[in-house]
Amino acid sequence: MQETILAMQGISKSFVGQYALKGVDFTLEEGEIHALIGENGAGKTTLMNILGGVLAPDDGRIFLTGRPVSIPTPAASKRLGIGFVHQELNLVNDLRVYENFFLGAELRGGLGLLDIESMCARTREVLALLDVDIDPRALVGTLDASYKQVVEIGRALHQQVKILIMDEPTTSLTGHEISHLFAVMKSLSQHGVAVIFISHKLKEVLSVCDRYTVLRDGHVAATGQVAGTGVTEEDLARLMVGRAMAVEQFFVPRPLGPVVLQAEHLGSAGSFHDVSFSLRRGEVLGFTGLVGDGRTELFESIFGSRRYEGTIRVNGAVRRLTHPEKALAVGIGLAPKNRKENALIRDFSVLANTTIARLSHFLRGPFLDFRRERARAQEHVVNLSIKVSDVGMPITSLSGGNQQKVVLAKWIEAGSRIMILDNPTQGIDVGAKAEIYRLIARLAAEGTSIVILSSEVPEILKVCDRVAVMYHGVIAAVLERAEATEESIMLYATGARKDASA
Amino acid sequence: MNVRSTYLKVRNHRVWGPVVRFLADNSVILAFVAMVIVATILAGDSFMSQANIINILRTVSIIGIISLGMTLIIISGGIDLSVGSALVLVGAAGIWVMNETGSIPLGMLTMLVGGAGVGFINGTIITRGRVTPFIATLGVMATCRSLSLYLLNGGGISANLPAYWAISNGDILGISYPVFYFILLTALVLLFSQRTPLGRYIYSIGSNEKASHLSAINVNRVKVITYMIGGAMVAVAAMVETSRLNSVSAASSGQGYELDAIAAVIIGGTRMSGGKGTVVGTFFGVLILGVLNNMLTLMGVSPFVTGTVKGIIIIVSVLVQKKE
Repeated sequence: MQETILAMQGISKSFVGQYALKGVDFTLEEGEIHALIGENGAGKTTLMNILGGVLAPDDGRIFLTGRPVSIPTPAASKRLGIGFVHQELNLVNDLRVYENFFLGAELRGGLGLLDIESMCARTREVLALLDVDIDPRALVGTLDASYKQVVEIGRALHQQVKILIMDEPTTSLTGHEISHLFAVMKSLSQHGVAVIFISHKLKEVLSVCDRYTVLRDGHVAATGQVAGTGVTEEDLARLMVGRAMAVEQFFVPRPLGPVVLQAEHLGSAGSFHDVSFSLRRGEVLGFTGLVGDGRTELFESIFGSRRYEGTIRVNGAVRRLTHPEKALAVGIGLAPKNRKENALIRDFSVLANTTIARLSHFLRGPFLDFRRERARAQEHVVNLSIKVSDVGMPITSLSGGNQQKVVLAKWIEAGSRIMILDNPTQGIDVGAKAEIYRLIARLAAEGTSIVILSSEVPEILKVCDRVAVMYHGVIAAVLERAEATEESIMLYATGARKDASA
Repeated sequence: MNVRSTYLKVRNHRVWGPVVRFLADNSVILAFVAMVIVATILAGDSFMSQANIINILRTVSIIGIISLGMTLIIISGGIDLSVGSALVLVGAAGIWVMNETGSIPLGMLTMLVGGAGVGFINGTIITRGRVTPFIATLGVMATCRSLSLYLLNGGGISANLPAYWAISNGDILGISYPVFYFILLTALVLLFSQRTPLGRYIYSIGSNEKASHLSAINVNRVKVITYMIGGAMVAVAAMVETSRLNSVSAASSGQGYELDAIAAVIIGGTRMSGGKGTVVGTFFGVLILGVLNNMLTLMGVSPFVTGTVKGIIIIVSVLVQKKE
């Protein structure tokens, strides 16, 4: 029988008088893969930060293999054999793989010089354990996302961990990279390492985990076995939100208007080439594929933010889009991926973030009319049901879903008739995702044409009229809603099938 | 009941809340008041006299005007090291034109165009050439100084139009003209930065350049304009300085102005990496530096030590900002 390696009992933690965790019990068996799931704000990260020594609990006890321990610092956590792979990769891109492994704890030989040979050898051993072939001397910046993730895991492992925390490791990975990562996790568990797997993707949880614990509003909503219990995604989703989730259909069949955007033989060296497609008024067009398929770069070009060859027609007229300013002038808006870095003016209020792309709407003479600006922002808040008590609040005080709605409000205010949404539900919890989909459907019904870029196929299928699948910088196929399934899309996305007619 | 919850309670108070919030956002005003109290205690009546206070205001006005432009540049995420030497080059060029043509307006126009031109060059090197602002303006700084030395043969140039002198040397109610210029320009730049789209863009770019670009803001254009405004402020400062002394010296004029201006902006609470700060803060930052210099002089402290005190104040003000 397996041994309980970790027991957290009655863990409580509050921030500014608000409970983040309230009497949480959590146990981990040796060599198991244990899913920790819950909506954003349910307390997953707080709980793991306590285990990782980042936060101190207000109350509760922690036992490691039956012994009570305290974990005051991240270093203490590491010494106890707990490895933490954070959601954002904490690797230094300009250093080599082995340098990242030994960062701050370099091996030294005679004269105190770095013992590069030993470090490389040790790195190779650990990577072999993970069953990957990466040159220890390779620059991390040149590696694929999944390899970076593996390097990150390897770095945690090379200091003999017994418990490995993985905070949403799959968000930046694509299909086959994910299956590779799962193989690594399985192999780890066979070596007796217990893995805590935090994820929003319930399908993954069911496919790879032995047990699950669901957190909701700071307490444990449920915990149980995965195997042999017939637990389904719907069960888990219901436990997460505390009510039955109807499988909502967002797609509404409707007539589409004339072609508003037409791309002809677009290309940009090294990113995409010979891309042609068209978008109709009120249409929702999905673009999907694996990481590095060129879709983000393609739409950067269409938004005027990247040089391109070829022709772009907007409402029939050829436009040379050399700057986002020009794209906006013809009604194109872009909600980029990585919202925090690319879309939010962090020092600005909700109000100022809403109006920044079209301040000319609020001019009275040379000056901004604050009252009109505020009233307009307030309208958007009501219209898109953005949860904020006052539009003057900092944008950073909003949840991910509400921030994304502000970004959409910005382009609505700017008068965009063609909206490009790159990974629109990144880092957004289940409930808010549904709101975003509903909003997309509504905008489309009102005549806005929308392009959704996403690597999550189910998301694409929820709202799109057609799906373009990209592979290595070209459109491999454009599928009508009726013929688009996860299976058919994957065939094109992986290059297994090519559609010449596209 | 702890300090923090008490503070939060006061902060949300119906009457005191707005006052507390304003002061918390503009801690430089509190620092200024503290500075004045310290100076009054240490230097006594000689500090708190009308003549002395007017004197302080007059001495800070030139750096003050430069600091206004510097504030916008730093908020946009940049820096301008060229202000001091640009002041000399632009001032000398303006006086030369004045002397040659006998026209004061033409001379002043030369300064204004020259200042904005230097700003245009700074901005263009930074945006088109993708050179970091520090390096670009360092190069322009060296170039302006060197050109001034070359053109003036290492010496200076004096204006031979007596009327020009009147621009800076005169007073209303005992307050000299440069003080009015400083206050007027502070109000103008404040209005510009807070109430115009361009002002909003400057903040936006300093806060997140990538997101600003992806919000269809022409980042390069806004940056070039910001440096041009900075250059225009330098030109106004050059007018005040050259008319006050009726001359400009290639070697000694404008020395260290860039450091004083940057110091005033930083003390005024503007974030060094951009996106945050106000002209009001800079206004008080300038005054703090002025009061400090004046106080040390009145106390008979060696002028060589002034720099040390200034240095400490700058570092402390940045440390305090970090805390916030």
